[in-house]
Amino acid sequence: MISEILVIGLNHVTAPVEIREKITFPGDEHGQVARSLLDVDGIQEAVVVSTCNRAEVIAAVDDSETAAERLVEFIGVVHELNPESLRKFLYVKQGEEAVRHVFRVASSLDSMVLGEPQVLGQVKEGYSRAANANATGSILNRLMHRAFFTAKRVRTETGIGLAAVSVAYVAVELAKKILGNLREKSVIIIGAGEMAELAARHLAGQVEKSVLVFNRTYENACALARDLRGRAAPMDSLEEGLVDADVVITSTGSCEPLINTDQVRKVMRLRRFKPIFLIDIAIPRDVEPEVNNIDGVYLYNIDDLQAVVRENLGERSHEARKAQDIVDEEAEKFMKWTKSLHSTPTIIALKDKLETIRTAELTRLNGRLSSLSPAERETVELITRSIVNKIAHDPISFLKKTGMTSRQNTYLDTVQRLFNLNGLPNDRLRPEEEPREE
Amino acid sequence: MFQKDEALDLIFFKIAIVLYLVASVSYLVFLVFSSGKQSTWGYWFALAGFAAHSLSILHRAIFSGFFPLATAFDALSLFSWIIVALFLAITHKEPSPIFGSIATPMAVVLMVFASTLSYQIREPLVPILKSWWLLIHVVLALMGNGVFALLAISGLMYLLQERLIKTKQIGRIHKLLPSLETLDVINRHGLPVGFCLLTLGIISGALWAGSAWGFYWSWDPKETWSLITWFAYAAMVHQRLALGWRGRRAAVFSIIGFTLVLFTFVGVSALIGGHHAFQGARRFMGTGGL
Repeated sequence: MISEILVIGLNHVTAPVEIREKITFPGDEHGQVARSLLDVDGIQEAVVVSTCNRAEVIAAVDDSETAAERLVEFIGVVHELNPESLRKFLYVKQGEEAVRHVFRVASSLDSMVLGEPQVLGQVKEGYSRAANANATGSILNRLMHRAFFTAKRVRTETGIGLAAVSVAYVAVELAKKILGNLREKSVIIIGAGEMAELAARHLAGQVEKSVLVFNRTYENACALARDLRGRAAPMDSLEEGLVDADVVITSTGSCEPLINTDQVRKVMRLRRFKPIFLIDIAIPRDVEPEVNNIDGVYLYNIDDLQAVVRENLGERSHEARKAQDIVDEEAEKFMKWTKSLHSTPTIIALKDKLETIRTAELTRLNGRLSSLSPAERETVELITRSIVNKIAHDPISFLKKTGMTSRQNTYLDTVQRLFNLNGLPNDRLRPEEEPREE
Repeated sequence: MFQKDEALDLIFFKIAIVLYLVASVSYLVFLVFSSGKQSTWGYWFALAGFAAHSLSILHRAIFSGFFPLATAFDALSLFSWIIVALFLAITHKEPSPIFGSIATPMAVVLMVFASTLSYQIREPLVPILKSWWLLIHVVLALMGNGVFALLAISGLMYLLQERLIKTKQIGRIHKLLPSLETLDVINRHGLPVGFCLLTLGIISGALWAGSAWGFYWSWDPKETWSLITWFAYAAMVHQRLALGWRGRRAAVFSIIGFTLVLFTFVGVSALIGGHHAFQGARRFMGTGGL
């Protein structure tokens, strides 16, 4: 039975925050959503990944075209939204493109901030929820483990991982160059997001006062505040917040600038021209760029920070290319493996393997069999061949018989492992990368 | 015996120059290679130089029987001593090697220049130069000038650092310069100190004039310019304390203020003249009076 990898979802590039906030796959705490996806016709295995900036379903399906349609329907139903209104925000990737996408996401190459470290953990959580709910099988188990392996390679073999940590680091260093010692300073965060959290976490380690969190949704503000051991504040008290703040991190999905020049001028008078450092991580920007021209106001957006990092790291585009090469290489390996998951090549490989063993053993014992007459030799040949065929018969007919069930991939994989079928591109997983079997 | 004693303070003076020079070179090496070790060396050499310099001034005071203020040489020596003292004090609070990189070469230049001047103290010392008011006047005025020089340097660094941050040029120079906050704190704390020193310097000068010549104020060009400088700094203190000026504006002001100080300190004597001239003034018109 043929399986295809299908990825369907949305991220910070394809969907505005209003939509991203709605698509969160509620109720997947124990993988129930992933499990219920298996009830959709044509879906064999499923993993649900959901972060601040992305939500996606990774599935092994019979047929990508029809499965994609059904998945869009499913996402609509789960979130009680009209699937048609969602469609324009979703990306659909299949086959090798989907594999590459999953590897890129896990390696943090598809993140809003290249190389930010949290996404790998979030993908791992999504996978373990699905695996615990028995929503994954041999295909996705392998895909996800290869994704983690790829992420590890990208992290150790390229400088990508340094880049994101550096963005937060650069933000803290700049804050120090502007405000001096940060211990007595106050930090506020407006909105949420991977990078805002990362920067806030770095800053929170430097300040004694608790971080103040603003969000349009008060509950979200509370959640992040709890995370950072700070306090949540309602959005309408933002201006007072700005008067007291020394470092402001903004990361909302607002289309209009949240903080404009006139407002900052007013705030600066109220704060008696005490310098303020604004870090704008949002796209589109939350702070009007002209704000940087005001005396005592220092505005950096995420591109500015990344430019500093790039200068620090030297040639970073080179690192990105290296990371992409790793992803391509691993995706290709994975595709080879999936192609091998058909009964015919597996059966051939199994037969070959047994035949190789038989002839090798006969050759090895050639010296001791030299006293035999040609007729006796012929008999030995017959006996060994018949033993090998008898051993191979049951597994082979089993594989042929299960050709139409969704379990076949598992069996094929198992047979390949049991017999160590080297003829296939079934490269050995390292012990720590060994997929967890259900 | 006489000659030998006199030579001793010069030997200390020259040792100080050499040590300051070594410190300057260490700081220069630091600036080029950003190696932290050199800046620590620079600090220790500057400290050793400062000790030798102090001994030189002390010895000269004991030798002449009074605090040595009679010559331009002494004024420059004391001025560079104050600059190094301020730098050492700041480095103690804020270990930013950039201050040392500016202060030690400055001291070297001033002192090499001073050693080209006549350092002979004419005997006997003119009686009007042997006054406690004069001592207080000169020391306060020089200390005030030293503080204003520091404020102007911090102001320049502030403007440069702010420019770099605003235009997002986060490179080596940005990293070498102290934080905006540090530079503004120097201005905030230094400005009232400098202003008090200037005020007391002018008052003590008037008192000395009163005791020496019988009149307190004679509208000598140096006195006039000192008063202008005083008003400029008074305005600055007012803006800073009452209107909350800080940062860039304070930095610009500190540079304008120091330009006035320089003009009063060097320019007035050289260009206009007046009774603030030194014994050595015939050889060097400028360094002179205060």
